[in-house]
Formats: sequence, C-alpha cells, structure tokens
Amino acid sequence: MSSLPAYLPARAPREAQPTRHVEPNRHIEPNRHIEIVATRVQRRRRPRIVYAIVAVVGLFVILMAQLLLSIALSDGAYQISSLQSQQKNLARDKQTLTESLNVLQSPQNLAAQATTLGMVMNNSGSGWLRLSDGSVLKSPTAAGTSSATDPNGQALVTNVLLTPAVTAQQDARMSTPAAGNPATATAGSGNADVASGSIPAPNTH
Amino acid sequence: MDHPKRSRRRLAIAIVLVFAVVSVFVGKLVDIQIVRADELDKQSYDKRAIAVTTYAPRGSITDSNGTVLADSVTRYDITASPRNINTDRAATTVQGFADKIAAISKQDPSVVFTALTQHPDADYSLVSSAVTTAQMRAIVKLDLPGIYYVSHPVRTYPDGSVAGNLVGFVGTDGPQAGIENMYNSCLASTDGTTSYEQGADGVQIPGSSVTKKAAVAGGTIKLTIDADLQWFAQQAIAEQGTAIGAQSATAVILEVKTGKILADADWPSVDPNDVSATPAANRQALSFSAQYEPGSVFKGMSAAMLIDTGIGSPTMEATVPWSWKTPEGGRVNDAGEHAVERLTLTGVLQQSSNVGISMMGIKVPEKTRYDYMKAFGLGQKSAVNFQGEASGSIQPLPWDDQTKYNVLYGQGVSATALQVAGIYQTLGNNGVRLPLTLVDSCTKPDGTVTDTPSTSGTQVIASSTAKTVVNMLESVVDSGELASVTKIPGYRVAGKSGTAEVASHGVYTNDRIVSFVGLAPATDPQYEVLVTYTKPTTMKTSAAAAPTFKKIMTQVLTKYRVPPSTTPSTYPATTW
Repeated sequence: MSSLPAYLPARAPREAQPTRHVEPNRHIEPNRHIEIVATRVQRRRRPRIVYAIVAVVGLFVILMAQLLLSIALSDGAYQISSLQSQQKNLARDKQTLTESLNVLQSPQNLAAQATTLGMVMNNSGSGWLRLSDGSVLKSPTAAGTSSATDPNGQALVTNVLLTPAVTAQQDARMSTPAAGNPATATAGSGNADVASGSIPAPNTH
Repeated sequence: MDHPKRSRRRLAIAIVLVFAVVSVFVGKLVDIQIVRADELDKQSYDKRAIAVTTYAPRGSITDSNGTVLADSVTRYDITASPRNINTDRAATTVQGFADKIAAISKQDPSVVFTALTQHPDADYSLVSSAVTTAQMRAIVKLDLPGIYYVSHPVRTYPDGSVAGNLVGFVGTDGPQAGIENMYNSCLASTDGTTSYEQGADGVQIPGSSVTKKAAVAGGTIKLTIDADLQWFAQQAIAEQGTAIGAQSATAVILEVKTGKILADADWPSVDPNDVSATPAANRQALSFSAQYEPGSVFKGMSAAMLIDTGIGSPTMEATVPWSWKTPEGGRVNDAGEHAVERLTLTGVLQQSSNVGISMMGIKVPEKTRYDYMKAFGLGQKSAVNFQGEASGSIQPLPWDDQTKYNVLYGQGVSATALQVAGIYQTLGNNGVRLPLTLVDSCTKPDGTVTDTPSTSGTQVIASSTAKTVVNMLESVVDSGELASVTKIPGYRVAGKSGTAEVASHGVYTNDRIVSFVGLAPATDPQYEVLVTYTKPTTMKTSAAAAPTFKKIMTQVLTKYRVPPSTTPSTYPATTW
C-alpha cells in the first residue's frame, strides 16, 4: 500500500504504448529517480498492521470472554437452580423421615412392640449395691409373668398417627426371625396371650 | 442534471418525510424511555418477577429430654387448572387423571373427577388437601399437565395423646388449647416474602433474588414433662380407671425440690391429632381445670397447722368415737363404725379419722387456719396459670358451725389436683412452697431463652414441722389400712389417702372422688405422686387409687434411680 502512489505516474505512458505489459519496468525505469522516498521518521510514524491486528483480536477476545462469562454465569444459575431443587427434595426427605421416626419412637409404639416381642415391664426389679462397703441394699428380682402395664390390652393412650401402615413399615424393616416365633406372628394385633403370661421362648441362633 | 428543479423538490420532500418519520420515532422513544419509563419498567418487572411467600415453621414443643411432642410438618394441597388440563399429552382421559390421583390420595375418584371438570374454564380448583410428601411426589410423577401443588405447614403430635391434655392443639383458626395457645407468642413463626426474576423457562435470573422480609421460625417450648413417665402415668390411670368404672382420673408427679411437674396425666385425654374424637369436656387438662372437695388428703395439712402453731404435737392425744357430736350441735362421722379409740395425732392420720382431726384441729383459730390454707396455695391459681385453670375456693370467714370442722378433712372447700399436689410438695420440701412449673423455657431460633419460670419459694411452715408431718405420714403407708397396696419394698414412703364425697345441688351424694398422695423417700422426699379417680362405680374408696399410686411411684423411683432407704420406717406412736 505504501508503494502504490509511486506507480501511478508510471501508468500514463502505458496507455500510449500498446506493448504488452510484460516488461513495463524497463520503460518506467528512467522515472524512478524522482520517486519520493519516505524518510525513516515518516516510515516509523506510519500505522503498522500489527497494531490493527492486536486491536481487532483484543476486541474479539473481549467479546468472547464476555460471552463465555455470560454463559458460565447463566450455567451457574441453572446449577444453583438444580442444587436448590435438590436441597428442597432432600429437606423434604429429612422431614418425612424425622416425622415417621418421631411417631415410631412414641412410647405407645415402643411399649406395644416390646410387649409383642414378649417383654414385660418389671419396674421394681432393680438391685442396689453400695460400693463403699459392698453391701447389697436391695436384691434384684426377676421379672414375673405380669407386666406393670398392658399397653397392648386396649388402646388406652391413643395415637392416631400409629396407623397399621406406619407399624407395617417398621415391621418390614425389623429383621424378624422367620418362622416358629409366635410373638412376631401377631405383631400389632394386641395378642392377649403375651400379656397374660405365656412368654414365648426366644428363637436363639 | 437535466431537471434540477424537480430534483430539488424531490429531495426536499424526501428530507421532510425523513424528518417527519424520524421525529415520530424520536417522539415515541422519548415517550417510552423518559415519560413512561418508570411505569413500563414496573410492568415489565412484574411480568418477570415472582413474589413468593416464604414460610418458617412454627416452633416445636418438647419434653424435658427433647422428645418432640408437637411439631410442624409440610403438607401439600393438590390443585388443578381445569383450563389447562391437556389430555392429549398424557394420552389418557380426564377420568383416567382422576382415577390415578384418587388412587394416590386415597379419595373417591368421583370427587376428584368433579373437582377437575366442574368448572372447565376455571384456573383453579382444589383437588385434594393436605397430602403427604410421598403422595405429592407420586402425583407429580404422574406428570399430568394442569395439576399443581401448594405447600403449607401443618401441626403434628408424634406421641398422640401423651401429654395431649397439656400440649393442646392448633385448629384451623390458630392455636386453641393448652401450651399451643398459652405460649403462642413464643411458638408462632412469621412469614416472609422474597421475589426474584425468572426467564421464559422459569429459571431464576442470577442475582435477581430480593428478600423483602425474612421468615422467622418460631421458638421451641421445653416442658418439664418426661414423655415416657407421662405415658406410663396415663396408661396406669387409664387401666385402673377402666377397671373401677371411673368417670375420669388424674395423676400428677412432682419433683419436690424444684416444683417441676414431671408428669400430669389426665384420663380420658385428647389426642391432638384427632381432636374431634374426644368430647369437648375432656379436651382440657382436668388436673388444672377440675376443682373438687379433696377430702382426707387435707388432714396432712391440718396436722401441719397444729404442730406449726405449737398447739399440737405428733403424740397429741384424743379419745375418738366413730361418731361425734360437736359442741355446736353438729355431727362428725368417721368413714366406718369403730370402737372408741385412743389415738394420737399420728394415729388420727394413720386411721384417717374425721372425728379425731376435728377434735384436735378445732383448737387452731379459724383465722389462723384460713391464713395457712392461703399460704399453702389454696384459693388461687398455681404459678403455671394454665389455660382454663380453676382457682378452687375456701369459704370466706367466719365459717359456719359445720364448715369449721369440715375443712379440717377437706370437705366444704375445693381445690384442683395441682393445688393438692402443691400442699404435699410444701410438706416434702421442708415447708417451702415452690411455684409449680410446667414450662421450662422458650428458646428462640437465635438462641435467646425466655419464659424461664420463677423458682423463688415461700416458707409456709417451719422446716421441722414439715419433716415431722412427713414422718407421721409414713404410718399410713407402713401400717395403715392401705399398707398392703401402698408399701414399696426397700423404700420409706409417706402418704395419705382421700375419699371425698361429691356434692351436687347442695347435698353430698353417693359419688366419691378417691385419691392417694405420697412422698418418697420419706427421709428426704424427692418425688411426689398424686392419683385421683372421679366417681368410680365399682370401688368407691381410696383403695382404688392406692395401687396406682404404688405403681407410678415405683416407676418413678426406678426411673430416677433413687437409692433404697437404709432404715425401716419409724414414726411416732399412733395410740396411747
């Protein structure tokens, strides 16, 4: 581009001369001695192509970066949104489990399950030792056949949350001995046999 | 160049037209960007922005160990937009929709079908209310277009009727009874609001969430109750109450040294999960609300007055017939006929002689007795100030010729079970009456603790008097009429029975309120148990209440690992 003005005067004679422009340089050769040559300073001041490239590329990079940033940001929004919904679901899971745990650990359920397993409440059987002189203050007594309370006898202290579905859920999770244990066969049915004293033999493995 | 004039005119017209068009645009631009900018901005924001009410849970009510007695859980209302129900995508009919939803929510399919089709152009229709999370998820999984859900908190009581009488319940209009109502200011949560902008796909635009008001969760109320003990007491009185055909029953367990109510059982008791299943009369705490003539359990207090004033002593003597004509001409009878007995004050307590306590107690001036009764907490509500609590009543002075004897053995005066328990707490705690406490504290989510009860007591009788009376009351459990059903092996127990006549329309009827109250260990009382049965039909004496007392007290001593007494019961002579 910088040499273009130098050729322009040379083109005029080309029209007059119908020769093929295979060797035009030979005819314009004599004119070249008056060509204006840029000084070193001028040449240095001329805009260089590298700057243009840097500017364009820089602009491109900035645009790309902005685009990527915006993609990343919106991707983050989707991630936040998905994590939030995951958190919500987990919170619901936790609440559901806590809710059923609280019901299952209610005294009514524990007492009923224990009675069903053939346990009796022996609230006066504990013994007492005095360590200082080794004396026995109260001898322990084994549990009898009757329980202090009979939680399976009647639903006296009611809990409507203890539905058969809830207790069934619990029974399914308990690793109950398979066959031959009469206590487990009547889970939740308020078996009178258990309360009146026929303690089933444990199914020892 | 050939027609310069025409050309110039054309140019002028074009310029004018261009300017006209541009000025219209500029005018519109100014109108939109400057004149109506705020309004339009707001409109567009409202289209993008979603305002959401945020919920914080109502606080829970726990027992002294943190066992949850009342809690908030989330339930979901399934709603439909009948307009948007699109059966094409789901490849089924509306009836198919209804059947699927009904199967999950356990409703009648026709009800669901009606909800979906009743108003086909409507945008909202409630399909099923308060379904659980699992049900909601199952319904959402069906992926039915036009079916939505709305969450809202509901109250649940995991332990059912254990302490249901105390905890109370929340109705559709808010808290209605018990602690739920009394401590609503602590338990209630505050809903918040937040808004965010969303894109076309419903995803939140980053950084657009604005919390206008944060939701604040409710505080936790911690009771002094022990849920397991409460259950045991409820079970015990329910079993015996059924056996003796009583109308109602209460059992109170107190920690003597602190005034804490460890259990306050009522039978029948409400299950707050299903309030409507309980008659309205039984939805409250009877031990607070029911006032009755307590009967002979008052004799312990009468003996304390005699000794504290110095007028009497444990061995104060009286010759006691079974029926006695008072100097004023009235008559005082013992429960059963007996030969004339030479009883000491201790013997009067042991035999529960109305005649004996009348002969001795009358020596204490009425005004003094009245003041003592007030000091023991009668005629006024307890420090708990429970919803619907009765204050009981002492007849104003001067007492008539019969009342001045009757009050000595707990007739002609009314008290609640908690007031009677308060009398024996005072006797057990060296004469210091402590304010009874049911609520231990309210803890807000930010950790601040409020509503801690007062623990400052008042000295009602001298410490020595209290110790003496408790010692005298050991005679009842050790060798009284009910000794066989009240004695607890290994422990020294002090106690007193009561069989009170129930007055109706001004006359005493055949109905009874039987009770037994006791302290253990008698040498240094830690726990008190009071059992009361109202209007038993098959067994109308305190012998009906005594076995339950023993059962509950045994459980208390075992549960709290109270060491057995090292010495057998000894007490002042009962006869002379």
